[in-house]
Amino acid sequence: MSLTPSLKPLALAGLLSVVAAIGGCSDSAFESSFAYSEGTLSLVREARDGTKANPGVKTLLDDRFGDPQHLKAWEKLPIDFGGTITSLETVAESGDGKKLVKMTVPEGVALPEKAVSVQFVSGACSGETVQVAKWNAKAGEATLAAIPGKEIAAGDTCAIDRGAVLSSGRMLYMRHCSHCHGTSGDGNGPTARYMTPKPRDYRNGIFKFTSTNDMSKASRNDLSRIVRYGIPGTYMPSFLLMKDDEHHAIIEYLRFLSMRGEYERKLVAELSSDYSQNAYDSRLKSGEKKAEIQKELDEFLAEDLKESAGTLGDDLAEIWTAADTDEAVIVPSVPRVPDTPESRRHGRELYLSKTLNCADCHGIDGAGNGPQTIAFEKNPAKSDELYNEPGLHDIWDNLNQPRNLQMGMYRGGRRPIDLFSRIHAGIKGSRMPSFKNTPHEDIWHIVNYVLSIPFETDPGATGITPIAAETLAAPAAVTAPAAG
Amino acid sequence: MKKFWALFFFFWPTVAIIACLIAPSRGWWFPGAPMSRTGIQIDGLFYLILIIVTITFVATQYVLGYALWMGATKDPGSKAFFSHGSHKLEIVWTIVPSFILVFISLSQLDVLAEIRVISKFPEKATKVAEVTARQFEWRIRYPKPGSELTTEENPGDLYYVNELHVPTGKPVIINLRTQDVQHAFFSPQLRVKQDAVPGLVIPVWFDVLEVGTYDLVCAELCGWGHYKMKARIVAQSQSSVDKYLKQLEAEQNEDGTKSETAKSADE
Repeated sequence: MSLTPSLKPLALAGLLSVVAAIGGCSDSAFESSFAYSEGTLSLVREARDGTKANPGVKTLLDDRFGDPQHLKAWEKLPIDFGGTITSLETVAESGDGKKLVKMTVPEGVALPEKAVSVQFVSGACSGETVQVAKWNAKAGEATLAAIPGKEIAAGDTCAIDRGAVLSSGRMLYMRHCSHCHGTSGDGNGPTARYMTPKPRDYRNGIFKFTSTNDMSKASRNDLSRIVRYGIPGTYMPSFLLMKDDEHHAIIEYLRFLSMRGEYERKLVAELSSDYSQNAYDSRLKSGEKKAEIQKELDEFLAEDLKESAGTLGDDLAEIWTAADTDEAVIVPSVPRVPDTPESRRHGRELYLSKTLNCADCHGIDGAGNGPQTIAFEKNPAKSDELYNEPGLHDIWDNLNQPRNLQMGMYRGGRRPIDLFSRIHAGIKGSRMPSFKNTPHEDIWHIVNYVLSIPFETDPGATGITPIAAETLAAPAAVTAPAAG
Repeated sequence: MKKFWALFFFFWPTVAIIACLIAPSRGWWFPGAPMSRTGIQIDGLFYLILIIVTITFVATQYVLGYALWMGATKDPGSKAFFSHGSHKLEIVWTIVPSFILVFISLSQLDVLAEIRVISKFPEKATKVAEVTARQFEWRIRYPKPGSELTTEENPGDLYYVNELHVPTGKPVIINLRTQDVQHAFFSPQLRVKQDAVPGLVIPVWFDVLEVGTYDLVCAELCGWGHYKMKARIVAQSQSSVDKYLKQLEAEQNEDGTKSETAKSADE
């Protein structure tokens, strides 16, 4: 009551704006940035940030992918960034300083129902983005805000709502995914620490459960299935109720983050052996001159890195495009063998056989307790030092023990084709190898056996004694844990 | 000013009467009409209680307003008198509400028993699926078409997530369980709500009156992702459900060799 009446409206206005910010109406509430990988941060400053003349890893990344608020569409990549490309047929003054334009309706393509902005791709205004004041999709007529100092002309090519899919994907990703998978897709969001297994770090461009060959990326369809149906046995829930356009936007954004991470990793790989801070220091120690290394690095940045910055993008485009083709998908050459006791029996024989040796990891009765689960593995990331804990690790450095097949919990899907693909292509990024050279009929026998394991009253009671039981009991590759 | 307060207390019960009269026709209380038989009974009980409470509230408020009005319009010179209360009145206002409470509790017993007591479940109710809640989704398991649903998984069972298909016009039972913490199976339109308790398999029955898609949400704060634990119940004719299950079975037995022909057939 100490406020004088004249101040009251002001106090109210202040309160409202605070509420708006907390309520998330303000855009700044979503502001975030892509974290650079550890690899990038381990480089010497020039390699990381670039020099005046030449770009470094960070500059290249920012230039091609932007930051979450200003995403960039690197046309080379096979991502549906969203937007319709068209050109101006006529341009006229609308009278209130705005421009009345008519767009060419491309044949077979409908202009979007709604339009917010138009970005010019060619002409005097190339690169400029203007707001759409009025929009008539059928006639292709729009009223555009004028661009000060520049004139748009008939014939200019423009893109309607360029990047709409990607930016809506980003909004959805931030809402549904980022708290586990992280803003940059590094699998390290705020809730990630409470989870086992850890959320996927997309930056390797590797996804575990795919329908594609062992060397192929995940297809859009694979990512789509995971997002729709979730992964039982992990924290990944199903997003079945998401609308189709939202679903599409999220998948495209996931692929964008994967490609960004993979691009970053590959750029770093070009530089890290010679120009990481550690390598740099040891080179100085071994007697190399600072100026010489600098000169060499300058040359490397100016030539090699610039060249690979382009070719790496081409490679990414090629390999991700290939994943969506029919050639990448595993199609068994024979249909599933009928699920008979004989087939299961044969499957179990193969499961225990020395060549396939499934039991080495998954255990004699499929309980996921094979000898490899108690062996100490070498850590390839730390010059083959042994891991502190026994068991199998994935490329993300997480302990990733083989599946207990008695549970009937199939993370990558329970359809026979899913299990077939797991065996044929392996589980990417994990120690489950590809058995692509195994005859498809044999894989089907194993699938039949594996699907029967949860329902066996007496596990392994198919009457086959494990031939390699003795050798299995004492793992051949086991190494003693390092003392201390 | 004295009269203002008396009128103030007359005003609110008047608002309450208007609100309670308008609300049912406007659907202010519920997310749409009840879509199950027990739902209709539950709504009936709700309106019964609403009527009793409205009458009680309005009556006591008007008495309060009347008392204030009489006080406000009293001659300022008149003397106050002392009263020690009335035993008769106290007995009346104790016995009347207790009768009302006993009436309410007795009148809802049948409905409660019908919903919760297994021996009172409709005889014809069939077990259609097992619904397993987990952080943060609903995992559905249907028995292999032609088989009975059992607590244990069986070969040929059909699995799906976040979408439950049930036939309309007949009582169905789902077995509710949870994989981790406590959840609650809640379908607002069907007026079905049952907690899922770790370690228990709880049968829940309901009958859906009309074909449609209904919400299934979690109604027990189960963790940070509670809000995203949303699924749908698709109610359709028995033949459509059978067709759906057949299609689900075909999908689940997909061996990847027929998919090309299947796809082109679909298109």
